[in-house]
Amino acid sequence: MEGIIKIDNLTKSYGNIKAVNNLSFKVKKGELFSFLGINGAGKSTTINIICGELRKDSGTVLVCDQDVDCDDKYIKKKIGVVFQESLLDKSLTVYDNLKIKAALYNITGKDFIKRYDELSSLFDLKEIEKQPIRELSGGQRRRADIARAIIHNPEILILDEPTTGLDPGTRKKIWKVLNLLRKKQNLTIFLTTHYMEEAADSDYIVILDKGSIIAEGTPLELKNKYAYDMILIYNISEDEIKKLNKPYIRIRDGFKIEIKTLEEATELIIKNRNLFKDYEIVKGKMDDVFLNATGYDLEVE
Amino acid sequence: MRELINLTKRNVKVYFSDKGMFFTSLITPIILLVLYATFLAGIYRDNFISIIPEGFKISDKLINSLVGGQLVSSLLSVSCITVAFTSNLLMVQDKVNNSIKDINVTPTSKFAIGLSYFASTFISTILVNVIVAIICFVYIYFQGWYMNINDVILILFDILILSLFGTALSSVVNYNLSSQGQITAVGTMVSAGYGFICGAYMPISSFNQTLQKILSFLPSTYATSLFRNHSLNGPFREMNRLNIPINIINEIKKGLDCKIIFFDNNVTIRIMYTILILSIIILTVLFFLMNKRRK
Ligand SMILES: Nc1ncnc2c1ncn2[C@@H]1O[C@H](COP(=O)(O)OP(=O)(O)OP(=O)(O)O)[C@@H](O)[C@H]1O
Ligand SMILES: [Mg+2]
Repeated sequence: MEGIIKIDNLTKSYGNIKAVNNLSFKVKKGELFSFLGINGAGKSTTINIICGELRKDSGTVLVCDQDVDCDDKYIKKKIGVVFQESLLDKSLTVYDNLKIKAALYNITGKDFIKRYDELSSLFDLKEIEKQPIRELSGGQRRRADIARAIIHNPEILILDEPTTGLDPGTRKKIWKVLNLLRKKQNLTIFLTTHYMEEAADSDYIVILDKGSIIAEGTPLELKNKYAYDMILIYNISEDEIKKLNKPYIRIRDGFKIEIKTLEEATELIIKNRNLFKDYEIVKGKMDDVFLNATGYDLEVE
Repeated sequence: MRELINLTKRNVKVYFSDKGMFFTSLITPIILLVLYATFLAGIYRDNFISIIPEGFKISDKLINSLVGGQLVSSLLSVSCITVAFTSNLLMVQDKVNNSIKDINVTPTSKFAIGLSYFASTFISTILVNVIVAIICFVYIYFQGWYMNINDVILILFDILILSLFGTALSSVVNYNLSSQGQITAVGTMVSAGYGFICGAYMPISSFNQTLQKILSFLPSTYATSLFRNHSLNGPFREMNRLNIPINIINEIKKGLDCKIIFFDNNVTIRIMYTILILSIIILTVLFFLMNKRRK
């Protein structure tokens, strides 16, 4: 089996807005797949189509080699979803929410108790299990959401911005659990996030803009293509920087020069020793990949 | 089957834990109580006394029992419907706040999901109204008890029928709603309007002829009439025993909508039940057809 999710020429419009436009990509089994894009790029729309929540206009979507239009019961057992907004019943407790949802996957009685205990220790649910969802903090609620999403041991876990708004500690904890699940069960994770450092750990990245792919590849490929290393030079006048004969950008206290390779940087520095009194080399980051690929550079220069 | 039971349990739980929804359903019954407490009871009391011809001695207890029976029948006929509507609005609420998405991603069939809303509405409605009925019986007991076990059983049966009717009606009406605004609109319309058109605030017999004709086409008219008949059977039997002329009793029955005329024909209790049961069947079939159509 090549791809656990295969999408071909997927299109979906809301009235005049083409939310997803002729989209094609593949997610391989066991990989951490990042699906990036600015707000409104069409990420949630694609997710809603994959999990059978929304009807597509055209194209094909195969999950575990089944068309989402035909046999959706089979697919539904394979997929767990954490939606962008938490969808547990606000007035019911964490425990009741999980119990009810488990029953919808035919997990009841002893099976449920066993599964609940596993999840409870993974996500520290003990302390919050008797609280209604509406009384939980954002991070506690997210833990309950993810526990709910994997209650039936799905093969694919779809996460729509699972960590938005969470503190770094909570984020780290959630990723620890997710990574454990990937290792232990070969869980495929389909991730949407606005935190580039999360995407940097993924196996494959697709970047979406206005419903179409504008860049894709492994983090390394994308960095090579879209993120340039930079030399930042401080304590230097504009006249002096002009002598380098390179395009430059003014930054606070100095200038920024894009370089293709580290050799190029070394050469430049050796040649112009006297100019490089105070400088640093900054490696290209996923943030740059995202900003350069989408062209939405928010940097103030 | 197991998923259906669990989903139904979930719906009932969410309904009762959301106190806002639950209390909305009690607005109409409360309006009714206030109306009775402030002036309706007095009007009816004077009315009964004026109808009874001179020379018949009627105890306060019997009059109280008549007025109380009327209040109780109005309360029950209204609350069966309003409770059904508000508990059924959960179906819309789930769409509005997207909770339904989290149910749709499970391997539960659309049919089972539809059925679970139907079942939970019915269960919530029956639960609330049996409690309301018990309070009503206690109230009547202190006002003047002339009922027999038959009357009690029939009132409980009416609650069953009317809860089913409320469930089926609200399921069909609410099925196509999908926004918070619509929820509020339907909730308000039902709680404000139903008490009026079913003859709970004022008997239909006191409306003008045209309105009476129009209302005689609505099943709700017969629903209220069933409650009226069964909660007032006792006092009427007692009046009979006191040898109050039958035409006077019939006069009172007519005034209270116990007797309904449909184009010059007297509608019997059996026909009333038939009308309601047929309406329930038609509405239920309609609801499940609508559920089937949408995948
Ligand atoms: N129900 C809807 N009705 C109309 N338009 C919609 C609807 N849902 C989404 N859209 C539009 O479709 C486009 C894609 O939305 P989508 O929610 O998929 O974006 P997203 O990539 O998930 O964004 P975000 O990062 O903000 O979550 C947007 O332009 C949005 O306005
Ligand atoms: Mg989104």
